[in-house]
Amino acid sequence: MAALILEGLTVRFGGLVAVDGLDLHVRDGELRCLLGPNGAGKSTTLDLICGKTQPTSGRVLLGDRDITGLPEYQRARAGVGRKFQTPTVFRSLTVLENLEIGRSARPGVLDTLRVFRTPVRGRVQDVLEMVGLADAIHTRADNLSHGQTQWLEIAMLLMQDCKVILMDEPTAGMTVQETAQTAALFRQLRGDHTMIVVEHDMTFVRDIAETVTVMDMGSLLAEGSIREIESDPAVREAYLADTGDEAHA
Amino acid sequence: MNKGFTVDCIGYALFAAFVLLLMPWMVDFSGYELNSYARYLALGVVAAAVALSWGTAGILNLGQALTFGIGSYVMAMHLKLKASASQPGGMPDFMVWTNVESLPWFWEPFRSLPLTLAAGVLVPVIVAGLLGMFMFRGRITGVFVAIITLSLMLAVQLWIINEQGWTGGENGITSLAPLELFGWSVDTYSLPFYYLAAGCLLAVLALGLVLIRSKAGLVLRAIKDDAARVRFFGYDVARYETIVFSASAAMAGVAGMLYCLVLEFASPTYMGLSLSLAMVIWAAVGGRESIVAAALGGIGVNMAEGRLSDLFFDQWTLMLGVIFIAVVLFLPRGLYGLLDGAREMLSARTGAVRENAAGAGKVVPPTGVASEGKTD
Repeated sequence: MAALILEGLTVRFGGLVAVDGLDLHVRDGELRCLLGPNGAGKSTTLDLICGKTQPTSGRVLLGDRDITGLPEYQRARAGVGRKFQTPTVFRSLTVLENLEIGRSARPGVLDTLRVFRTPVRGRVQDVLEMVGLADAIHTRADNLSHGQTQWLEIAMLLMQDCKVILMDEPTAGMTVQETAQTAALFRQLRGDHTMIVVEHDMTFVRDIAETVTVMDMGSLLAEGSIREIESDPAVREAYLADTGDEAHA
Repeated sequence: MNKGFTVDCIGYALFAAFVLLLMPWMVDFSGYELNSYARYLALGVVAAAVALSWGTAGILNLGQALTFGIGSYVMAMHLKLKASASQPGGMPDFMVWTNVESLPWFWEPFRSLPLTLAAGVLVPVIVAGLLGMFMFRGRITGVFVAIITLSLMLAVQLWIINEQGWTGGENGITSLAPLELFGWSVDTYSLPFYYLAAGCLLAVLALGLVLIRSKAGLVLRAIKDDAARVRFFGYDVARYETIVFSASAAMAGVAGMLYCLVLEFASPTYMGLSLSLAMVIWAAVGGRESIVAAALGGIGVNMAEGRLSDLFFDQWTLMLGVIFIAVVLFLPRGLYGLLDGAREMLSARTGAVRENAAGAGKVVPPTGVASEGKTD
């Protein structure tokens, strides 16, 4: 069954067609990598899925539910989680408070008025250990290192426990070691969550990818396993060949 | 969430002791002097109301005096009807002078005390709720909220001044009867009345603290940090903002009712620009991050104003101005920031080990992930 379907998704910003008739099928529990040169429309696609941007035409289906017209908070409730390119956490809140915000299965005011503490056990403890922040629960997020901030945002998404997780360059600014750890985490999440990952780091993509979708100029260029993609002449021309040396830029 | 709770409780207890014991002791429990102290308490409530929306959710309401004024008019209308009971038709005197033929329909409910007390809270809540829905659904933020709230307040003030027959106009509503509460004719120059005001202040602050310390308060702080991000976690930001905006209006309504009782009249100046801006200053001096500190700011500044105007007659406004400028320049978080900074330094000294023990992502084992290959 498909977790996420995009049908003819198009968005125009003035004269610029950022995403042009994009069709995409993502299976339940799949980890899909989205590649493409700068300006190919990868981040805009994620924006369209999570509701940050409204499409000019086309549809977004989550399972069998059409979520195209919903505002972003209702899409989040339907099961779409988003990690942004620059790590976006609540900097004046502590690590634990950030996780409590992430734990949003009951987001209504009447529900949140009755919650007064975050128990550090069960799921919260598991997630904290998974991302290595168990010793820092009372640290304010603006005192964390860049890598830790990335991990905190991932942890918040894990608390949100959404069906579809959209990750925009999750390893940006991470050291080689941190990137490897992230890859391990992603392999662990695969199956339980459907993930769409935009990434430039080809080592990371080879580590985690099942199916890779390559975009160019706002539309789909190629789709397949990483091996097929890397040997596809059109892809090599559009992307891999000329950006190989700036894969880490 | 758990850590701040003890700090809050200690602060609240100290504040309660200050209000209940120290302030009356300063004037030898004399009812007459306590009348002006009750006025400071009412202004403390409204300063806390400003801090509730501004400090918690980042919504700067420059028109807080609107809901404060509504509360005071609600109370004044009830007391005026009581005072006019012997008049023909029970009509207030200013209506007779302006040839209003019968009591306007919206005055009728204020014959009843329970309805009046309910209206003093609910009318501000409804006004703020409607305005909040309009603003926050439209994702209006920051300085635009300040402009809209300020303009609405001035518009309502103008309407009140213009509709003299219905509202008492420029003069306001004067010569009021004393409030009668469970058979007790409230003497506003008495110790019991002071404790009534103090009770209202403490109750309102306790409710506000519950809101702030709940997860709803946490969501509001997150909204202040980054509203867009909060939406992507599934929270309806507009609803949260509307609710805190309305809660703050309810507090201001209570403050307005108390203020009307103390001064024994309601006036359009209660919705005036200078009072509304002063409320924001009180909250800033006390510290907008904590409603208790803001209440203390409201009480303290007004107390100082009372003392200084006794001592220096005319120059006191100048001195007060200097104090405000000093606070904004040197204590941008108010007095609360000073205390909080000191507390943080202390806890950093004692708990430095625990705070800094966080190493970067060290738990997930790299389960044989080879990160060789082309990187960097």
